[in-house]
Amino acid sequence: MRPAVRSGLALLMMLAASSLCAGHPLAQAQERLEAAEAALRTGRYDEAIDIFSDLAQREPASARAARGRSRAYWAVGRYADAERAAQRYIAANAGSSELWNTLGEVLYRRGKRDEAAEAFERALAGRAGDALIARLNLAILRYDRGERAEALREFDGFIDVYNRGRRLSSEELTAVGTAVAYLGAEEWQLYRDALRAYDEAIAADPGNLEPRVRVGELFLDKYNSPDAAQSFRDVLAVNPNHARALLGMARRMRFDGEPGAFDMARRALEVNPDLVSARVFLAELLLELEEHDRAAEEAERALEVNSASLEALSVLAAIRYLQGDAGGFEAARRRVLELNPQYAELYTRLAELSARNRLYFEAAEFARQAVELDHTSWRGYALLGINQLRTGRIAEGTRNLEIGFEGDPFDIWTKNTLDLLDTFTEYDEVRGERFVIAVDGKESELLSLYFADLAEEAYDRLSELYGFRASTPIRIEVYRSHADFSVRTVGLVGMAALGVSFGPVIAMDSPSAREIGGFNWGSTLWHELAHTFHMGITDHRVPRWFSEGLAVYEERRARPGWGDDVSPGYLTAYLQDRLLPVAELNNGFMRPAYPEQLIFSYYEASLVCEFIEQQAGPRALVDMLLAYKNGMSTPEVFRTVLNTDVDDFGGQFFEYMDERFAVPLSAMRPDREMPHGRAPTREEIAEWAESDPGDFTAQLAYGHILFEDERHEEAAVYLERAKALFPEYAGAGSPYWYLALIYKERGLPRRAADELTTLTSIDERDYQANLELAEVLEALGDRAGAAAALERAIYIYPYDIAFHARLAELYSQTGEHDRAIRERQAVLSLAPVDRANALFELARAYYEADDMTLARRTVLRALEIAPGFEEAQGLLLEIRARNSGGTG
Amino acid sequence: MRTLVALAVAVSLVAAPAAAQQSHLVVVSGLSGEARYADAFHEWAVTLISAAQERWGVPESNIAFLAERTERDPERIDARSTRENIETTLETLAVRAGAEDHVFIVLIGHGSTSDGESKFNLPGPDMTATDFARLLDAFPTQTICFVNAASASGEFVPALSGGRRAIITATKTRLERNETVFAAFFVEAYAGDGADVDKDQRVSVLEAFSYASREVARAYEDDGKLLTEHALLDDDGDGEGTEEPDPQSTSDGRLAMTLFLAGPGEPVLAAETSSDPRLAALYGEKRDLEQQIAELRRQKDVLDPEAYDQRLEELLVELALVTREIREIEEAQQ
Repeated sequence: MRPAVRSGLALLMMLAASSLCAGHPLAQAQERLEAAEAALRTGRYDEAIDIFSDLAQREPASARAARGRSRAYWAVGRYADAERAAQRYIAANAGSSELWNTLGEVLYRRGKRDEAAEAFERALAGRAGDALIARLNLAILRYDRGERAEALREFDGFIDVYNRGRRLSSEELTAVGTAVAYLGAEEWQLYRDALRAYDEAIAADPGNLEPRVRVGELFLDKYNSPDAAQSFRDVLAVNPNHARALLGMARRMRFDGEPGAFDMARRALEVNPDLVSARVFLAELLLELEEHDRAAEEAERALEVNSASLEALSVLAAIRYLQGDAGGFEAARRRVLELNPQYAELYTRLAELSARNRLYFEAAEFARQAVELDHTSWRGYALLGINQLRTGRIAEGTRNLEIGFEGDPFDIWTKNTLDLLDTFTEYDEVRGERFVIAVDGKESELLSLYFADLAEEAYDRLSELYGFRASTPIRIEVYRSHADFSVRTVGLVGMAALGVSFGPVIAMDSPSAREIGGFNWGSTLWHELAHTFHMGITDHRVPRWFSEGLAVYEERRARPGWGDDVSPGYLTAYLQDRLLPVAELNNGFMRPAYPEQLIFSYYEASLVCEFIEQQAGPRALVDMLLAYKNGMSTPEVFRTVLNTDVDDFGGQFFEYMDERFAVPLSAMRPDREMPHGRAPTREEIAEWAESDPGDFTAQLAYGHILFEDERHEEAAVYLERAKALFPEYAGAGSPYWYLALIYKERGLPRRAADELTTLTSIDERDYQANLELAEVLEALGDRAGAAAALERAIYIYPYDIAFHARLAELYSQTGEHDRAIRERQAVLSLAPVDRANALFELARAYYEADDMTLARRTVLRALEIAPGFEEAQGLLLEIRARNSGGTG
Repeated sequence: MRTLVALAVAVSLVAAPAAAQQSHLVVVSGLSGEARYADAFHEWAVTLISAAQERWGVPESNIAFLAERTERDPERIDARSTRENIETTLETLAVRAGAEDHVFIVLIGHGSTSDGESKFNLPGPDMTATDFARLLDAFPTQTICFVNAASASGEFVPALSGGRRAIITATKTRLERNETVFAAFFVEAYAGDGADVDKDQRVSVLEAFSYASREVARAYEDDGKLLTEHALLDDDGDGEGTEEPDPQSTSDGRLAMTLFLAGPGEPVLAAETSSDPRLAALYGEKRDLEQQIAELRRQKDVLDPEAYDQRLEELLVELALVTREIREIEEAQQ
């Protein structure tokens, strides 16, 4: 017998050896399998499908081929084919459990949860090679059904798997990482362990892209966008068609506020049109653009693929809610909770999307429901806290943020907000009947002199205009640090950089947060208060473009020169068709196509509002707000209130712009060929100016050159030309400024004053121009005009002691004693070294205002510091004489 | 050349009458490095000198101005600010100054450190704190106000500290090496309004220092910059400067509050006297009231606020009436 066995063994060995030789059918099959897997891994899906399909036909018992084929179909969204491929293998290999897990995964993604559960259990029972993955998938399914406790127990078991020390494959390590990541909600330190498991999975098989994708997703969930970006890039470097990695990049771009998220998500869908997460993401982006109908289409598409997708149902619920479709909202909400009674993410998603649509009260309420449903919904606590802060509930909001941060210390936004709240102890709250103004203690005494009055004036004016009184008190937070202000606007898209209104709470930069001339705090405050009114009138249902346009328009109505101005850049963009049609103006705020488009959109929207009022009367703007409140879309509002189609209106608006800016438009030269890679020379500019007297830019530039060369008389010619070509231009290098200097030099102060008056009536930020105008007017004997110029400058930069002293003196001379007192108080608030003198001057102002009580009290304080201060002594004696009815 | 230069400097410092206590001012503008610094240093120096002369009555003959380039302003600049010329100037002044005179030395420029020593940068060899200390030893009886407004100047305090000396530096250590703006505001204290906090129509060294310190801090805050210079004043001879000297609560400031840039015959110390018995009595009454007010202020925290204000007002009214009477008599006598 022995020789036969020996020869049988030898034969077997010969056969095995020969199968490894190239050309042998087995070897060929192996090669083709590896080629197919390589094609799948690198995103050549069609090629992978072809090879796997061929192999599956030739080798119906090959689980690898069948699995590969199923996954290749799945990668491009052919889920039905993926399911069939797995089913075919199972049917042909009844004794094998190898494809049950793969089948389960496909079924699960198609919403067939019960069948998926059964498939996973079959894989487990049959001890398939990927049984551990099946175990994970089953636990995830249970988690998504709301069987949370059981699922967490299962996830916990994966720690034992890892700790047992058995050598795990890359796929198994990925499964461990995923399981541990789920446990992170209960213990945040476990996220680090999850990361470690993923890293080991990558090391075990660098060609396995799945753990890299999961690492990216984990980093993004934990607010680490740079590392997330790197992970996704690593994947896309190998497989540029990896749909989930493309989606991950899109999400990362949105997280960082970068443009292009939409297009990146679209790329993911080009690869896999049935990627549910990508459809959901697009729906969310469209919601931010306030395109509810298109958002709903995306959500519905997702549900066609997977009718049990919790995230798709959640976003659909949000869409219906924002559309005002209570029935649709309730239906979606109920369906989610039927599928998973513990799905707090429904409410966190509702909260987030509500907040992005400026429904802050609603966002807080949804977030509260999230934490009620799931006490480990740290995102829920964070959203609850943030939105409570936005609606003025500071103490509650702080508490909830602290809870959220304790559960998830990776949340950088929550951390930054808590750090900001810590600084509130340094803030003074100036409380009035209608406003609470929170200002840093270092400048509260100064700013409270001006903020309260302006806020009250704005409130009265806006109430009158809109026939509506916004709820009070309104909280105004004024930040010395722009970084602190930025924390308040975190997560909000398309917000201006200077101030934000949440309705009952306004946050804005202090004038000290910016360089002089960086912004006008007065117009900013007015703008934000206008938003408070608009949101109040519409229950926060006003589209961004209209609210911003109206707010800028309100600035313009408040003070001459306030509000955005037309610029050469704006007119050039118009000539180049880069301004948005009225119907699409919202995009200019939510996803500007180029950096300047945001600023241009503010101005354009304000002109639209101006035009509407011109055409339809002031009531039309209010009626539009009320129509938005009733849930109408922009086309419906235009039809109903303005009796016009929005596109037709857009055409009329552009005709209006053509007419209004006819002269400056004709003076723009958008097609001028500029020298490549360098600034034009003086000679070139001179030549342009000489050859084309109608070119605004050339006239202005040459005027500057001549001015710098101290050839002022010649400069004036070109500057006057530039002014005539574009009289509304008061920006950097404005001809008005230079002409004022020239006329002043010529001994023509009245003409200088005229130039500066025009300049400051257009540009709200030119501090120096207002100071210069004050000086010129005072020299001309116009003290009231000088005081008015300095009064304007307060809204730009209020921190100069000498400035306030000068204004006080002017008000004293013009008999405006209340304002003189205010200015003397401003001097004192700036802590001058010579406090005694500052007190004396204030006492004098009180005296002139006939307030002997305060005059006396204040002069005593001055003399307390400097008893020998003879002027103050004299004032004291005068006060006593007045009080006693004598003459001292 | 050394002899000629010394002679030129000596000629400009004409001997003053021996009897009246006088102020002497030596302004040294050092190595600038760049045009913008040269312009700034010159402007500050000239502003200080003009204020000293025109506002505070310091005679031209009591003022010496040494600068980097004499050709910039030959009318005002006495000599180049070399080590040699500075030594000669101070040595000559030490001989010339009266025993009770006040000597103000103001350095405007850049400072640096090497081998752990603070230096003031000059055209040619720099001078260290030790060098200046040696020169100040030649003023055993005079009262000195030494101001180093340069960067990295803090170590001048321990080196120069002593009796009858108020030492001011723009920085607290040699490690504060960034350019300073202290000089601009120190000069402004004498040239402008705003530093005479006690309203005695004079600016003491303490008032000038306090003014400059606060305005430096304000300037940095307005520009949104971190404060990189912290000025010090030391006048109690302990070699340790104070950032916020206050005669009421710190050991520094008492000498500085009695030092003024003043012309000959001007009351350098606060002392009102008269041979007219009415005036003498009124001056006495005024001093007495001022002391009562000072005493009342010291008790402010323990008194009832209303009672405090009432008593304060009574005293202030009396003081005002006495002061008015004094002025009327003084005017009548002129």
